[in-house]
Amino acid sequence: MTLPNITLADFLPLLPALIMVVGASILLLSEVFLSSSASRGYQAVLTVATAVASGLTALGLMFEPPHAVFLGYGVLDPFSSFLTLVVCVGLALAALASVSFLRKRGAERGEFYALMLFASAGMSLLAMSAEFITLFVNLEVLSVATYALTAYLRRGTRPSEAGFKYFILGAFSSAVLLYGTALLYGATGTTKLADMAGPLSQALATAPALVYTGAILVAAGFAFKVAAVPFHMWTPDVYEGAPTPVTALMSAGVKAAAFAAMVRVFLTVGKGMDPHMPLALFSTLALLTMVVGNLLAIPQRNVKRMLAYSSIAHAGYLLLGVAALFVTAPGEHFRILGASALTGGTPLDVARSDALRGILYYLLAYTFSAVGAFALVSALERREDEDKGTAWDLERFSGLAQRRPGWAFAMTAFMLSLGGIPPTIGFMSKLLIFQSAIDVGLVGLTIVAVLSSAAGVYYYLRVVVYMFMRPVPEGAQTLERSWGTEVALVISTVAVVLLGIIPGRVSEWLAHAGTLFGQ
Amino acid sequence: MITPLAPYLPLAVVLLLAGLMAMAIPQLTTRLGPKRPSAIKSSPFEAGSESSGPARQRFAVKFYVVALLFIVFDVEAVFLYPWAVNFQALGWFGYVEMLVFAATLIVGLIYVWKKGALDWES
Amino acid sequence: MNVELVLFGAFALLTLLSAGLVILARSPINSAMALVSTFFFLAGIYVLLWAHTVAVVQVLVYAGAIMVLFLFVIMLLNLGESAHRGKPTLSRILGGASAVGLLGVLGITLSRVPAQPANLGPQAQATFGTMASIGQSIFTQWLLPFEAVSLLLLVAMVGAVVVAKSRI
Repeated sequence: MTLPNITLADFLPLLPALIMVVGASILLLSEVFLSSSASRGYQAVLTVATAVASGLTALGLMFEPPHAVFLGYGVLDPFSSFLTLVVCVGLALAALASVSFLRKRGAERGEFYALMLFASAGMSLLAMSAEFITLFVNLEVLSVATYALTAYLRRGTRPSEAGFKYFILGAFSSAVLLYGTALLYGATGTTKLADMAGPLSQALATAPALVYTGAILVAAGFAFKVAAVPFHMWTPDVYEGAPTPVTALMSAGVKAAAFAAMVRVFLTVGKGMDPHMPLALFSTLALLTMVVGNLLAIPQRNVKRMLAYSSIAHAGYLLLGVAALFVTAPGEHFRILGASALTGGTPLDVARSDALRGILYYLLAYTFSAVGAFALVSALERREDEDKGTAWDLERFSGLAQRRPGWAFAMTAFMLSLGGIPPTIGFMSKLLIFQSAIDVGLVGLTIVAVLSSAAGVYYYLRVVVYMFMRPVPEGAQTLERSWGTEVALVISTVAVVLLGIIPGRVSEWLAHAGTLFGQ
Repeated sequence: MITPLAPYLPLAVVLLLAGLMAMAIPQLTTRLGPKRPSAIKSSPFEAGSESSGPARQRFAVKFYVVALLFIVFDVEAVFLYPWAVNFQALGWFGYVEMLVFAATLIVGLIYVWKKGALDWES
Repeated sequence: MNVELVLFGAFALLTLLSAGLVILARSPINSAMALVSTFFFLAGIYVLLWAHTVAVVQVLVYAGAIMVLFLFVIMLLNLGESAHRGKPTLSRILGGASAVGLLGVLGITLSRVPAQPANLGPQAQATFGTMASIGQSIFTQWLLPFEAVSLLLLVAMVGAVVVAKSRI
């Protein structure tokens, strides 16, 4: 038997995930050796420190030349490193927001932070998986950890309902993904993404149904995870029922990792497919997701639920960027939603790598804005109101500008960023995606995107109106400060505003990470 | 002709014999045994005393935790078989691989143990 | 007509029958028992495909450990026979329609696959699907997903305790 040649260099891309797994193990083991009354303040600090260490490692890895590791089962490239960085940002902010959330409920336990770290490790590993079985196992690592986190607070009916729904539908979507993988394996005889493209173009001639059904099932499996319409049904209930910091991690991290895996699979394998097929698939998903997500968010008075629908809408804009990746010739594509290129000045390859850069930038922007918004929602909610369902009502934001001007300013920044209004990071990233979509010729779809995001501004600004225009309600409870939430809010507000004006080093990293791969 | 079934012939014989026995023995007892029914004999009973309610009762959730942990370690054991068969050929390389695999699960075992999930009384 | 073909037909038919029983049985315990026999007949099909190890694992893990968990959960919830059935609601009709649609699509897909039975040859048949050859693949080529499985098992363990332990 010949043993494979595994060197230390093969472990490089695993390093961020390994750091998080070690951190999680320390948290688990220290938790069980503590007495139940011992202080658990160190746990959030340890989690944030692990996230920072792992994020810095990912940043260092971003400038390694791209190469396959572990015999082609994984890959180290700037794309995966940037995604790990995004995941670490989301993790650190969500962990900071958890401090007061858990303390108020008397639920400070090492398992909570350990599961968050495990989920993030799974996300990082998912971004670097280059083979279907590896991808599936890592997807399950992150899913199982988030199922458990969703049901972490078991008092009341909402968390158990949310956990149950998420588990059943998540398991179903994993099965769909696996079935699609099996069909693609049947068509090609390999599960390695890089080796699939060649046999796939042959299989397209002999058994086209196998390839198409397989690809559609794989895409449907991912669409569940990123909450794209019509696979979004679980999102509002799960986002509302889960502990708010977990919702933050789900909306930022799970979405980013699932998008990364989806983009990697279809960019690498799609070469062997008819390019019209992923284009048609993602254009349709983008159209439905943008329109339905925004329309459903408008009537919501529950801010947490509104943010859930808004997260669906944002998946739609990201899918627009994904669709732009699969345009092979301007004007020659899916005609219902596209028109020929208007600008014509930008070469197609440049526009497509702009789209990839746009997706990555958007994921970072969404992480800062959404996690920040969820952190503020968790600072305002009270445990007693959860079962009544009023814990996240718009009324809670009334007069916030008078009571806590800093918080109101932060929330305004997040809402503007989510709505895509300058000068915020949300505007810059949305501009990048829309611009690249127009450059490749998806003009019709981009017009829909602009219109639906204009509709979105309505429900984001409504929160701002409540904070600044409404009086403080009678008998409002005192708003407690907590260092964790304050730090999370300051970091995300600074990032949202500053990166919107001067992207600085981030645009340099993006230029590096947004190189098209699998061509 | 080569067939995948060859090694399963003894197994098929055992299954056949076991099935025949399972069908034959209850038949034999009903056919051969003497039957003298009486009112007391045909009334339902639990371990000699009179029945006090339905047999189906809610199980404690601790059964579930134990069964789930059993599955986890069962899956780990499944990976040990192909490793053991190749132990010589894999040498130190395979040893380290399994060490890493087992170490991860030992972290879990320590956690579960200290957490008291294996204690029946708590 | 050879033995393998007859056995395959029998196993396939019995798998479908017991899978049908799983969803049609009134008592959850009967469903679980039908599931055990589904797993066993599937193991038979795996054997016919030369997948010896998969067949053994199927019996060991699925028919053994996972069924125990199923029975515990049924007893934990103390499920009786399901009382309400057969009321066609909109979601049931939609769900049924999409299930039938998926079945149709998959049926058409698989029926269009050109049938070329793989011929392993006598050399490969001696080792194919055995513990030794599977082990060789897992521990040399598939080591990254193999180690990822240990992480998955750890997360499952922690998750189970967090969700089910009455006091954390």
